[in-house]
Amino acid sequence: MSALSDRAQKALLAGLRSGAVAAGPSWQRRLLTGFLRSPLASMIALALLWEFATIAFAVPRRALPPPSAVFADAWTVRADLLASFGRTLLETLLGFVAGSLLGCLSGITFAYVRTLERSVFPLFVISQSMPVVAFGALVVIWFGNTLLAKVVMALFLSFLPVTVNTLRGLKGVDPQRIGLMRSFGARGFTLFAKLAWPWALPQVMVGLKVAISLSLIGSIVGEWFGETVGLGVMLLQAMYTEDMTRLWTVIVACGLMGSALYGLISLIERRLVWWRSAS
Amino acid sequence: MVAFRKLTKAGAVPVLITLLIFVAAWEGAIALFHIPDFVLPHLAQIAVRLSSDSHLLADALAATLSESLGGFVIGAVLGLAIASLMVLIVPLERSLLPVAVAINSVPIVAYVPVTLVWFGIGPASKLALVALSTGFVVLINALHGLKQAETGAIDLMRSFGASRLSILRRLQLPAAMPSVVNGLRVAIPRSMIVAIVSEMLGAYRGIGRIIFESTQQVDNLGVWVAVLSASLASVLLYTALVWIDRKLVWWN
Repeated sequence: MSALSDRAQKALLAGLRSGAVAAGPSWQRRLLTGFLRSPLASMIALALLWEFATIAFAVPRRALPPPSAVFADAWTVRADLLASFGRTLLETLLGFVAGSLLGCLSGITFAYVRTLERSVFPLFVISQSMPVVAFGALVVIWFGNTLLAKVVMALFLSFLPVTVNTLRGLKGVDPQRIGLMRSFGARGFTLFAKLAWPWALPQVMVGLKVAISLSLIGSIVGEWFGETVGLGVMLLQAMYTEDMTRLWTVIVACGLMGSALYGLISLIERRLVWWRSAS
Repeated sequence: MVAFRKLTKAGAVPVLITLLIFVAAWEGAIALFHIPDFVLPHLAQIAVRLSSDSHLLADALAATLSESLGGFVIGAVLGLAIASLMVLIVPLERSLLPVAVAINSVPIVAYVPVTLVWFGIGPASKLALVALSTGFVVLINALHGLKQAETGAIDLMRSFGASRLSILRRLQLPAAMPSVVNGLRVAIPRSMIVAIVSEMLGAYRGIGRIIFESTQQVDNLGVWVAVLSASLASVLLYTALVWIDRKLVWWN
């Protein structure tokens, strides 16, 4: 996913930039090719394809409603949809920020405290293969149907990949470089801030990208255990009433939020890790 | 004694000590802060419940495992097949990959209600969803891997008159294997999670169903044993995959 959208966005950016700088006769054309390669264009193409396919093959609404019906439905419930979107977004972002801060801190701790790494970190790796989402039920028992419960759940899911990736990044620092900086008198924090952290950052960003998707999943599933607003709630309601059009409306909303959040992290990555991108 | 030495070498001792500390901290916290049972049950309570519910849990685990493994295999085969097709027929990649990416941009849990309506409450809906989530990971990893083969080697084979298909079979697929196995590794815990999550919303059997019912009845001990047995199964599955990988992937 990252490879494609990154490439496409780079092409779009390159198109825009060269157009702005050169201002030659071909900038419109470059803009057009840039647009055609962008995710937006493939989204529009996909929507058109979906629409025509449902008409051409006379797909029943129950199986797959056409996008026009989905958009019409989204418009009729726009107030609810926006409120739910906002609520789920808030849960996801809060959980993600808290989870990644905690993940970075514990990753750094593991990297510098060898005993902890040897004793606790294997458990972290093992817990990555556990169905953590299932703990959501417990989280809801602990915190009740509050915003906090969903945030904790999103935190719980996003925390692990960030920890593992931070540690891997910090461990991967070239020892020769450390030696070189030591020989120039760099110590402790300087060594961390000038060498280890920048070195680890691309790997950390990979963890953050995994974390943001997991965080969204965490808040949606968290809402299933009892809540009144949120995309997860709307999903459940649509399922119980077997309203397929509404179901697809919410799915598209979830997809938009997921891609937007992922895009945001990729953007931050390009800003922060301009010297190297770990793809 | 030999076994002990082996464990020490594998670094298991510090981990075991941590587990012991963890158990002590758990029970200590309950005793010190008078934490009520519904927040944190005694480990002994969990163990008792595990043994009394063992039949129920084994049955649920069998259902969940068969769904996740079945879906995993279907998804892996489909992902590999589609990736191979995309490499053989280049326009296919251009047109299908955006569709796959768009489908994958939706968090997988959002599809659970749709698959339940489409395929019913039985195992078919879980198989479909697990296959989707595994399939995408394998597809992306296989595509990446299939492009790893050196252009020089491909040209050489072509100059000897090898067909596209035999280049794929003899050169590109073996070259792609490490990457594919990486994808499988990511996909295996995910397949358990997806199966459990979709069982939560509707199933006749399975760990997810137990978790959801226990939550509704505020029976948190029931949630604990279900989560623990699922985690154990998932860890075992993952270890098995890593072991198979080490034994079988001779080209790595």
